[in-house]
Amino acid sequence: MASPGAAASETSMADRISVEIDRAIQRNLKGFGYLGSPDPVVGQTPKTLLHRRGTLSLYHYKPIADEVYRVPILFVMATTNKAFIFDLTPGQSLIEFLVKRGHDVYVMDWNAPTGEERYLKIDNYVLDFIPDCVQRVQRHSGVDKVTIVGYCFGGVLSAIYAALHPDGPLKNLVCFTTPIDFGKMKLFRQWTDARHFDLDRLVDTVGIIPPEMITSGFDMLRPAGRIAGQVRLWDNLWNDEYVAAFRRMERWGKETLPLAGEYFRQTIRELMQKNALNEGTLHIGGKPVELKAIKVPLLHVLAQHDHIVPPECGKPLVEQVGSRDKEEVILPGGHVSLVAGANAVKRMWPKLDRWLERRST
Amino acid sequence: MSSSQNLDPFEMWRQIVTKLEGGINSMANNGMNSEEFLRALHQFSQVSTGMQQTFEKALDAYFKALRLPSQKDIAALAEGLQRIEDKIDLLVPIEEREPTERRPARTRQPSGEGTVAAEPTSPRSGS
Repeated sequence: MASPGAAASETSMADRISVEIDRAIQRNLKGFGYLGSPDPVVGQTPKTLLHRRGTLSLYHYKPIADEVYRVPILFVMATTNKAFIFDLTPGQSLIEFLVKRGHDVYVMDWNAPTGEERYLKIDNYVLDFIPDCVQRVQRHSGVDKVTIVGYCFGGVLSAIYAALHPDGPLKNLVCFTTPIDFGKMKLFRQWTDARHFDLDRLVDTVGIIPPEMITSGFDMLRPAGRIAGQVRLWDNLWNDEYVAAFRRMERWGKETLPLAGEYFRQTIRELMQKNALNEGTLHIGGKPVELKAIKVPLLHVLAQHDHIVPPECGKPLVEQVGSRDKEEVILPGGHVSLVAGANAVKRMWPKLDRWLERRST
Repeated sequence: MSSSQNLDPFEMWRQIVTKLEGGINSMANNGMNSEEFLRALHQFSQVSTGMQQTFEKALDAYFKALRLPSQKDIAALAEGLQRIEDKIDLLVPIEEREPTERRPARTRQPSGEGTVAAEPTSPRSGS
Protein backbone atom coordinates (compact mmCIF):
# COMPACT_ATOMS: atom_id res chain seq x y z
CA MET A 1 0.00 0.00 0.00
CA ALA A 2 1.45 3.43 -0.97
CA SER A 3 2.21 5.72 1.97
CA PRO A 4 0.66 9.22 2.14
CA GLY A 5 4.15 10.68 1.72
CA ALA A 6 4.72 8.79 -1.52
CA ALA A 7 1.31 9.84 -2.85
CA ALA A 8 2.04 13.47 -2.05
CA SER A 9 5.44 13.15 -3.69
CA GLU A 10 3.94 11.65 -6.87
CA THR A 11 1.39 14.47 -7.00
CA SER A 12 4.12 17.01 -6.53
CA MET A 13 6.25 15.39 -9.24
CA ALA A 14 3.23 15.30 -11.55
CA ASP A 15 2.79 19.03 -10.92
CA ARG A 16 6.46 19.68 -11.64
CA ILE A 17 6.31 17.74 -14.89
CA SER A 18 3.20 19.63 -15.88
CA VAL A 19 4.93 22.94 -15.17
CA GLU A 20 7.99 21.95 -17.18
CA ILE A 21 5.88 20.81 -20.14
CA ASP A 22 4.06 24.12 -20.04
CA ARG A 23 7.38 25.96 -19.94
CA ALA A 24 8.70 23.91 -22.87
CA ILE A 25 5.68 24.93 -24.94
CA GLN A 26 6.15 28.58 -23.94
CA ARG A 27 9.83 28.32 -24.79
CA ASN A 28 9.06 27.22 -28.34
CA LEU A 29 6.41 29.87 -28.85
CA LYS A 30 8.46 32.73 -27.41
CA GLY A 31 11.73 31.58 -28.93
CA PHE A 32 10.69 32.79 -32.37
CA GLY A 33 9.68 36.13 -30.91
CA TYR A 34 13.03 36.44 -29.19
CA LEU A 35 14.95 35.86 -32.42
CA GLY A 36 13.04 38.51 -34.31
CA SER A 37 12.65 41.22 -31.69
CA PRO A 38 14.53 44.55 -31.73
CA ASP A 39 17.06 45.64 -29.10
CA PRO A 40 15.52 46.49 -25.74
CA VAL A 41 14.99 50.15 -24.84
CA VAL A 42 17.28 51.39 -22.08
CA GLY A 43 18.11 54.67 -20.41
CA GLN A 44 14.54 55.95 -20.24
CA THR A 45 14.83 58.32 -17.27
CA PRO A 46 14.41 61.81 -18.81
CA LYS A 47 17.70 63.62 -19.24
CA THR A 48 19.28 66.54 -21.10
CA LEU A 49 22.61 66.51 -22.90
CA LEU A 50 24.56 69.39 -21.34
CA HIS A 51 27.85 68.96 -23.13
CA ARG A 52 29.44 66.76 -25.74
CA ARG A 53 33.10 66.78 -26.66
CA GLY A 54 34.35 63.82 -28.67
CA THR A 55 34.38 60.78 -26.43
CA LEU A 56 32.70 62.65 -23.56
CA SER A 57 29.01 63.34 -23.00
CA LEU A 58 27.63 65.02 -19.88
CA TYR A 59 23.96 64.52 -19.02
CA HIS A 60 21.67 66.04 -16.44
CA TYR A 61 18.68 64.06 -15.23
CA LYS A 62 15.48 66.00 -14.83
CA PRO A 63 14.47 66.40 -11.18
CA ILE A 64 11.03 65.15 -10.21
CA ALA A 65 11.04 65.76 -6.46
CA ASP A 66 9.58 68.97 -5.05
CA GLU A 67 12.89 69.78 -3.41
CA VAL A 68 16.35 68.35 -3.92
CA TYR A 69 19.47 67.96 -1.83
CA ARG A 70 21.83 70.90 -2.13
CA VAL A 71 24.90 69.02 -3.37
CA PRO A 72 24.59 67.55 -6.88
CA ILE A 73 25.99 64.11 -7.80
CA LEU A 74 28.23 63.50 -10.80
CA PHE A 75 28.54 59.88 -11.89
CA VAL A 76 31.78 58.92 -13.65
CA MET A 77 31.24 55.80 -15.72
CA ALA A 78 34.00 53.32 -16.52
CA THR A 79 35.49 54.14 -19.91
CA THR A 80 34.90 50.63 -21.27
CA ASN A 81 31.11 50.75 -21.15
CA LYS A 82 28.03 52.90 -21.54
CA ALA A 83 26.45 54.56 -18.52
CA PHE A 84 22.96 53.20 -19.17
CA ILE A 85 23.88 50.41 -16.75
CA PHE A 86 22.81 52.98 -14.15
CA ASP A 87 19.45 53.40 -15.90
CA LEU A 88 18.41 50.07 -17.38
CA THR A 89 14.64 50.35 -17.21
CA PRO A 90 11.96 51.93 -14.99
CA GLY A 91 12.04 50.09 -11.69
CA GLN A 92 15.56 48.84 -12.35
CA SER A 93 17.37 52.19 -12.51
CA LEU A 94 19.76 53.57 -9.92
CA ILE A 95 19.39 57.01 -11.50
CA GLU A 96 15.60 56.88 -11.27
CA PHE A 97 15.90 55.68 -7.65
CA LEU A 98 18.14 58.61 -6.68
CA VAL A 99 16.14 61.20 -8.62
CA LYS A 100 12.94 60.06 -6.89
CA ARG A 101 14.66 60.48 -3.55
CA GLY A 102 15.56 64.07 -4.27
CA HIS A 103 19.12 63.81 -5.53
CA ASP A 104 20.28 66.05 -8.38
CA VAL A 105 22.05 63.68 -10.77
CA TYR A 106 24.54 64.27 -13.58
CA VAL A 107 26.35 61.55 -15.51
CA MET A 108 29.60 61.50 -17.48
CA ASP A 109 28.99 58.99 -20.26
CA TRP A 110 31.40 57.92 -22.97
CA ASN A 111 31.28 57.52 -26.73
CA ALA A 112 33.69 55.48 -28.82
CA PRO A 113 36.88 57.56 -29.18
CA THR A 114 37.65 58.55 -32.73
CA GLY A 115 40.96 58.03 -34.47
CA GLU A 116 42.05 61.53 -33.48
CA GLU A 117 41.46 60.65 -29.83
CA ARG A 118 43.87 57.71 -29.84
CA TYR A 119 46.39 59.91 -28.01
CA LEU A 120 44.15 60.57 -25.01
CA LYS A 121 45.74 59.53 -21.73
CA ILE A 122 44.58 59.18 -18.13
CA ASP A 123 45.87 62.75 -17.75
CA ASN A 124 43.18 63.99 -20.15
CA TYR A 125 40.44 62.28 -18.20
CA VAL A 126 41.49 63.47 -14.72
CA LEU A 127 42.92 66.88 -15.58
CA ASP A 128 40.47 67.88 -18.32
CA PHE A 129 37.29 65.84 -18.69
CA ILE A 130 36.43 65.45 -15.01
CA PRO A 131 37.32 69.00 -13.90
CA ASP A 132 35.50 70.39 -16.95
CA CYS A 133 32.38 68.42 -16.10
CA VAL A 134 32.62 69.42 -12.44
CA GLN A 135 32.71 73.08 -13.49
CA ARG A 136 29.72 72.59 -15.78
CA VAL A 137 27.80 70.92 -12.96
CA GLN A 138 28.68 73.81 -10.65
CA ARG A 139 27.47 76.35 -13.23
CA HIS A 140 24.32 74.44 -14.08
CA SER A 141 23.36 73.71 -10.49
CA GLY A 142 24.57 76.97 -8.98
CA VAL A 143 26.30 74.99 -6.21
CA ASP A 144 30.01 75.10 -5.41
CA LYS A 145 30.41 71.58 -4.10
CA VAL A 146 29.88 68.36 -6.07
CA THR A 147 29.76 64.70 -5.05
CA ILE A 148 31.47 62.30 -7.45
CA VAL A 149 30.41 58.66 -7.80
CA GLY A 150 32.82 56.53 -9.82
CA TYR A 151 32.13 52.99 -11.02
CA CYS A 152 34.98 50.53 -11.57
CA PHE A 153 37.61 52.36 -13.64
CA GLY A 154 35.45 55.45 -13.35
CA GLY A 155 36.23 55.15 -9.67
CA VAL A 156 39.95 54.95 -10.42
CA LEU A 157 39.73 58.15 -12.46
CA SER A 158 37.64 59.79 -9.74
CA ALA A 159 40.09 58.81 -7.00
CA ILE A 160 43.04 60.12 -9.04
CA TYR A 161 41.13 63.36 -9.68
CA ALA A 162 40.34 63.67 -5.96
CA ALA A 163 43.97 63.06 -5.00
CA LEU A 164 45.23 65.67 -7.44
CA HIS A 165 42.64 68.29 -6.42
CA PRO A 166 42.60 68.16 -2.61
CA ASP A 167 41.43 71.77 -2.34
CA GLY A 168 38.93 71.46 -5.16
CA PRO A 169 35.14 71.51 -5.15
CA LEU A 170 34.74 67.82 -4.30
CA LYS A 171 32.32 67.38 -1.41
CA ASN A 172 32.09 63.55 -1.19
CA LEU A 173 33.60 60.64 -3.10
CA VAL A 174 31.78 57.36 -3.67
CA CYS A 175 33.36 54.45 -5.50
CA PHE A 176 31.81 51.16 -6.61
CA THR A 177 34.06 48.10 -7.20
CA THR A 178 37.11 50.28 -7.81
CA PRO A 179 40.45 48.50 -8.24
CA ILE A 180 43.44 50.01 -6.46
CA ASP A 181 45.80 47.09 -5.91
CA PHE A 182 46.07 45.77 -9.46
CA GLY A 183 48.47 43.14 -8.17
CA LYS A 184 45.45 41.26 -6.87
CA MET A 185 43.95 41.01 -10.37
CA LYS A 186 46.02 37.90 -10.92
CA LEU A 187 44.89 36.74 -14.34
CA PHE A 188 44.87 40.19 -15.91
CA ARG A 189 48.31 40.76 -14.47
CA GLN A 190 49.64 37.55 -15.95
CA TRP A 191 48.11 38.18 -19.35
CA THR A 192 49.71 41.63 -19.53
CA ASP A 193 53.08 40.52 -18.14
CA ALA A 194 55.77 42.42 -20.03
CA ARG A 195 57.74 39.19 -20.59
CA HIS A 196 55.06 37.95 -23.00
CA PHE A 197 52.82 40.87 -23.83
CA ASP A 198 54.19 43.39 -26.33
CA LEU A 199 52.06 46.31 -25.24
CA ASP A 200 53.82 48.89 -27.39
CA ARG A 201 53.48 46.81 -30.54
CA LEU A 202 49.76 46.31 -29.94
CA VAL A 203 49.02 49.99 -29.27
CA ASP A 204 51.25 51.24 -32.09
CA THR A 205 49.56 48.81 -34.49
CA VAL A 206 45.89 49.36 -33.69
CA GLY A 207 45.86 52.90 -32.30
CA ILE A 208 42.40 52.40 -30.79
CA ILE A 209 41.95 49.19 -28.78
CA PRO A 210 38.95 47.39 -30.30
CA PRO A 211 36.01 46.55 -28.03
CA GLU A 212 36.25 42.87 -28.98
CA MET A 213 39.62 42.70 -27.27
CA ILE A 214 38.20 44.25 -24.11
CA THR A 215 35.19 41.90 -24.13
CA SER A 216 37.41 38.87 -24.72
CA GLY A 217 39.56 39.84 -21.78
CA PHE A 218 36.53 39.88 -19.46
CA ASP A 219 35.08 36.70 -21.00
CA MET A 220 38.33 34.84 -20.41
CA LEU A 221 37.93 35.30 -16.67
CA ARG A 222 34.88 33.02 -16.92
CA PRO A 223 35.24 31.04 -20.16
CA ALA A 224 32.10 28.96 -19.54
CA GLY A 225 30.04 31.99 -18.56
CA ARG A 226 28.75 32.87 -21.99
CA ILE A 227 27.61 29.33 -22.85
CA ALA A 228 26.09 28.83 -19.40
CA GLY A 229 24.27 32.13 -19.87
CA GLN A 230 22.79 30.95 -23.17
CA VAL A 231 21.70 27.65 -21.56
CA ARG A 232 19.98 29.55 -18.75
CA LEU A 233 18.38 31.88 -21.26
CA TRP A 234 16.97 28.92 -23.18
CA ASP A 235 15.76 27.41 -19.91
CA ASN A 236 14.00 30.67 -19.02
CA LEU A 237 12.63 31.67 -22.44
CA TRP A 238 9.15 31.18 -20.99
CA ASN A 239 9.84 33.91 -18.43
CA ASP A 240 9.33 37.34 -20.03
CA GLU A 241 10.94 39.22 -17.12
CA TYR A 242 14.05 37.05 -17.19
CA VAL A 243 14.40 37.43 -20.95
CA ALA A 244 13.93 41.20 -20.80
CA ALA A 245 16.58 41.55 -18.07
CA PHE A 246 18.95 39.26 -19.96
CA ARG A 247 18.56 41.23 -23.18
CA ARG A 248 19.21 44.54 -21.45
CA MET A 249 22.44 43.21 -19.97
CA GLU A 250 23.32 41.59 -23.28
CA ARG A 251 22.88 44.93 -25.02
CA TRP A 252 25.14 46.61 -22.47
CA GLY A 253 27.82 43.98 -23.04
CA LYS A 254 27.52 44.30 -26.83
CA GLU A 255 28.03 48.05 -26.59
CA THR A 256 31.44 47.74 -24.91
CA LEU A 257 33.52 50.70 -26.04
CA PRO A 258 36.94 50.82 -27.66
CA LEU A 259 39.72 52.53 -25.72
CA ALA A 260 42.18 55.23 -26.73
CA GLY A 261 45.51 53.53 -27.33
CA GLU A 262 47.65 55.79 -25.17
CA TYR A 263 45.12 55.54 -22.34
CA PHE A 264 45.28 51.75 -22.62
CA ARG A 265 49.08 51.81 -22.76
CA GLN A 266 49.31 53.97 -19.63
CA THR A 267 46.72 51.88 -17.76
CA ILE A 268 48.49 48.61 -18.49
CA ARG A 269 52.03 49.89 -17.97
CA GLU A 270 51.52 52.09 -14.94
CA LEU A 271 48.55 50.57 -13.15
CA MET A 272 48.62 46.91 -14.14
CA GLN A 273 52.31 46.14 -14.62
CA LYS A 274 53.85 48.57 -12.10
CA ASN A 275 50.84 48.74 -9.73
CA ALA A 276 51.80 52.40 -9.40
CA LEU A 277 48.53 53.66 -7.91
CA ASN A 278 48.73 51.24 -5.01
CA GLU A 279 52.47 51.75 -4.59
CA GLY A 280 52.12 55.54 -4.58
CA THR A 281 54.45 55.97 -7.55
CA LEU A 282 51.90 57.08 -10.14
CA HIS A 283 52.46 60.50 -11.70
CA ILE A 284 49.80 62.30 -13.69
CA GLY A 285 50.48 65.65 -15.31
CA GLY A 286 53.90 65.54 -13.67
CA LYS A 287 52.38 65.38 -10.18
CA PRO A 288 52.48 62.43 -7.81
CA VAL A 289 49.14 60.77 -7.09
CA GLU A 290 48.89 60.12 -3.37
CA LEU A 291 45.62 58.66 -2.15
CA LYS A 292 46.34 60.02 1.33
CA ALA A 293 45.70 63.50 -0.12
CA ILE A 294 42.00 62.57 -0.35
CA LYS A 295 40.34 64.00 2.75
CA VAL A 296 36.68 64.19 1.71
CA PRO A 297 34.09 61.71 3.03
CA LEU A 298 34.49 58.43 1.15
CA LEU A 299 32.24 55.43 0.63
CA HIS A 300 33.61 52.40 -1.22
CA VAL A 301 31.17 49.62 -2.04
CA LEU A 302 32.68 46.29 -3.03
CA ALA A 303 31.00 43.14 -4.32
CA GLN A 304 31.60 39.92 -2.43
CA HIS A 305 31.63 37.73 -5.55
CA ASP A 306 33.28 40.16 -7.93
CA HIS A 307 35.37 38.11 -10.38
CA ILE A 308 36.78 41.22 -12.12
CA VAL A 309 37.68 43.38 -9.08
CA PRO A 310 37.95 41.01 -6.11
CA PRO A 311 37.37 42.77 -2.78
CA GLU A 312 41.06 42.51 -1.84
CA CYS A 313 41.81 44.55 -4.95
CA GLY A 314 39.67 47.47 -3.79
CA LYS A 315 40.36 47.44 -0.05
CA PRO A 316 43.45 49.67 -0.21
CA LEU A 317 41.30 52.67 -1.19
CA VAL A 318 39.79 53.12 2.27
CA GLU A 319 43.08 52.04 3.87
CA GLN A 320 45.13 54.69 2.08
CA VAL A 321 42.94 57.81 1.93
CA GLY A 322 43.40 60.54 4.50
CA SER A 323 39.66 61.00 5.08
CA ARG A 324 38.34 60.73 8.62
CA ASP A 325 34.82 59.99 7.42
CA LYS A 326 35.34 56.85 5.37
CA GLU A 327 33.49 53.60 5.03
CA GLU A 328 33.98 50.37 3.12
CA VAL A 329 30.99 48.11 2.55
CA ILE A 330 31.12 44.64 1.04
CA LEU A 331 27.74 43.50 -0.24
CA PRO A 332 26.64 40.21 -1.80
CA GLY A 333 26.70 40.27 -5.57
CA GLY A 334 28.98 40.45 -8.56
CA HIS A 335 30.75 43.25 -10.35
CA VAL A 336 27.68 44.34 -12.31
CA SER A 337 24.82 42.97 -10.24
CA LEU A 338 26.01 45.07 -7.27
CA VAL A 339 25.03 48.18 -9.22
CA ALA A 340 22.32 47.03 -11.60
CA GLY A 341 21.05 43.61 -10.56
CA ALA A 342 17.63 42.77 -9.20
CA ASN A 343 18.96 42.74 -5.62
CA ALA A 344 20.72 46.08 -5.94
CA VAL A 345 17.33 47.71 -5.37
CA LYS A 346 17.24 46.49 -1.79
CA ARG A 347 20.98 46.29 -1.05
CA MET A 348 23.33 48.87 -2.50
CA TRP A 349 20.91 51.58 -3.58
CA PRO A 350 19.35 52.23 -0.14
CA LYS A 351 22.80 52.16 1.45
CA LEU A 352 24.03 54.73 -1.06
CA ASP A 353 20.97 56.92 -0.53
CA ARG A 354 21.34 56.85 3.27
CA TRP A 355 25.05 57.67 3.05
CA LEU A 356 24.53 60.49 0.57
CA GLU A 357 21.50 62.13 2.16
CA ARG A 358 23.45 62.93 5.33
CA ARG A 359 26.29 64.47 3.37
CA SER A 360 24.43 66.37 0.66
CA THR A 361 22.83 69.23 2.56
CA MET B 1 8.36 6.65 3.15
CA SER B 2 9.09 8.62 0.03
CA SER B 3 12.65 8.65 -1.25
CA SER B 4 11.75 10.89 -4.18
CA GLN B 5 10.07 13.62 -2.18
CA ASN B 6 12.96 15.99 -2.46
CA LEU B 7 14.25 14.88 -5.86
CA ASP B 8 13.43 17.35 -8.56
CA PRO B 9 15.29 16.29 -11.70
CA PHE B 10 14.67 19.65 -13.35
CA GLU B 11 16.22 21.55 -10.46
CA MET B 12 19.05 19.04 -10.32
CA TRP B 13 19.76 19.67 -13.98
CA ARG B 14 19.96 23.40 -13.33
CA GLN B 15 22.32 22.86 -10.43
CA ILE B 16 24.49 20.64 -12.63
CA VAL B 17 24.77 23.45 -15.18
CA THR B 18 25.89 25.86 -12.45
CA LYS B 19 28.39 23.37 -11.02
CA LEU B 20 29.74 22.56 -14.48
CA GLU B 21 30.16 26.23 -15.24
CA GLY B 22 32.07 26.79 -12.01
CA GLY B 23 34.23 23.72 -12.62
CA ILE B 24 35.12 24.64 -16.18
CA ASN B 25 35.90 28.24 -15.18
CA SER B 26 38.14 27.08 -12.38
CA MET B 27 39.95 24.56 -14.56
CA ALA B 28 40.39 27.09 -17.35
CA ASN B 29 41.71 29.75 -14.98
CA ASN B 30 44.28 27.32 -13.64
CA GLY B 31 45.33 26.43 -17.18
CA MET B 32 45.66 30.10 -18.08
CA ASN B 33 48.33 30.49 -15.43
CA SER B 34 50.85 28.47 -17.42
CA GLU B 35 53.74 30.02 -19.35
CA GLU B 36 52.85 27.94 -22.41
CA PHE B 37 49.33 29.35 -22.48
CA LEU B 38 50.57 32.92 -22.11
CA ARG B 39 53.10 32.51 -24.90
CA ALA B 40 50.51 30.92 -27.19
CA LEU B 41 47.93 33.60 -26.35
CA HIS B 42 50.23 36.45 -27.19
CA GLN B 43 51.56 34.83 -30.33
CA PHE B 44 47.99 34.32 -31.47
CA SER B 45 46.97 37.89 -30.71
CA GLN B 46 50.09 39.27 -32.43
CA VAL B 47 49.40 37.23 -35.55
CA SER B 48 45.72 38.10 -35.46
CA THR B 49 46.39 41.82 -34.97
CA GLY B 50 49.02 41.80 -37.70
CA MET B 51 46.72 40.06 -40.16
CA GLN B 52 43.90 42.44 -39.35
CA GLN B 53 46.11 45.46 -39.92
CA THR B 54 47.46 44.07 -43.19
CA PHE B 55 43.96 43.40 -44.42
CA GLU B 56 42.74 46.88 -43.43
CA LYS B 57 45.70 48.56 -45.11
CA ALA B 58 45.09 46.56 -48.28
CA LEU B 59 41.42 47.49 -48.22
CA ASP B 60 42.20 51.17 -47.63
CA ALA B 61 44.64 51.14 -50.57
CA TYR B 62 42.01 49.47 -52.76
CA PHE B 63 39.34 52.05 -51.94
CA LYS B 64 41.84 54.85 -52.38
CA ALA B 65 42.80 53.55 -55.81
CA LEU B 66 39.14 53.49 -56.80
CA ARG B 67 38.62 56.93 -55.25
CA LEU B 68 35.85 55.53 -53.05
CA PRO B 69 35.32 56.23 -49.33
CA SER B 70 35.79 53.25 -47.02
CA GLN B 71 33.35 52.28 -44.29
CA LYS B 72 35.73 53.87 -41.80
CA ASP B 73 35.60 57.17 -43.70
CA ILE B 74 31.82 57.11 -43.76
CA ALA B 75 31.62 56.23 -40.05
CA ALA B 76 34.02 59.09 -39.22
CA LEU B 77 31.90 61.43 -41.31
CA ALA B 78 28.75 60.33 -39.52
CA GLU B 79 30.42 60.85 -36.14
CA GLY B 80 31.59 64.28 -37.16
CA LEU B 81 28.09 65.22 -38.26
CA GLN B 82 26.67 63.99 -34.98
CA ARG B 83 29.19 66.10 -33.07
CA ILE B 84 28.29 69.15 -35.13
CA GLU B 85 24.59 68.56 -34.49
CA ASP B 86 25.23 68.25 -30.76
CA LYS B 87 27.29 71.45 -30.79
CA ILE B 88 24.51 73.29 -32.62
CA ASP B 89 22.08 72.11 -29.96
CA LEU B 90 24.41 73.36 -27.27
CA LEU B 91 24.57 76.81 -28.86
CA VAL B 92 20.99 77.27 -27.74
CA PRO B 93 21.00 78.67 -24.18
CA ILE B 94 20.20 76.05 -21.58
CA GLU B 95 17.09 77.95 -20.52
CA GLU B 96 15.68 77.62 -24.00
CA ARG B 97 16.77 73.97 -24.32
CA GLU B 98 15.09 73.03 -21.09
CA PRO B 99 12.15 75.43 -20.89
CA THR B 100 10.09 72.98 -18.94
CA GLU B 101 12.86 71.72 -16.65
CA ARG B 102 11.91 72.21 -13.06
CA ARG B 103 14.43 73.88 -10.79
CA PRO B 104 13.31 72.70 -7.38
CA ALA B 105 14.68 74.33 -4.24
CA ARG B 106 17.86 72.79 -2.86
CA THR B 107 16.49 72.55 0.63
CA ARG B 108 15.92 68.83 1.06
CA GLN B 109 16.93 67.36 4.38
CA PRO B 110 17.72 63.75 5.30
CA SER B 111 14.75 61.60 6.18
CA GLY B 112 15.71 60.59 9.71
CA GLU B 113 19.07 60.89 11.31
CA GLY B 114 20.24 64.38 10.44
CA THR B 115 23.44 65.44 8.73
CA VAL B 116 26.94 64.21 9.39
CA ALA B 117 28.93 66.46 11.73
CA ALA B 118 31.46 68.77 10.10
CA GLU B 119 34.45 66.84 11.50
CA PRO B 120 33.25 63.31 12.07
CA THR B 121 35.43 60.82 13.87
CA SER B 122 33.63 57.65 12.70
CA PRO B 123 36.13 54.83 12.20
CA ARG B 124 36.33 52.76 9.04
CA SER B 125 33.72 50.03 9.07
CA GLY B 126 33.12 47.01 6.90
CA SER B 127 30.11 44.87 6.42
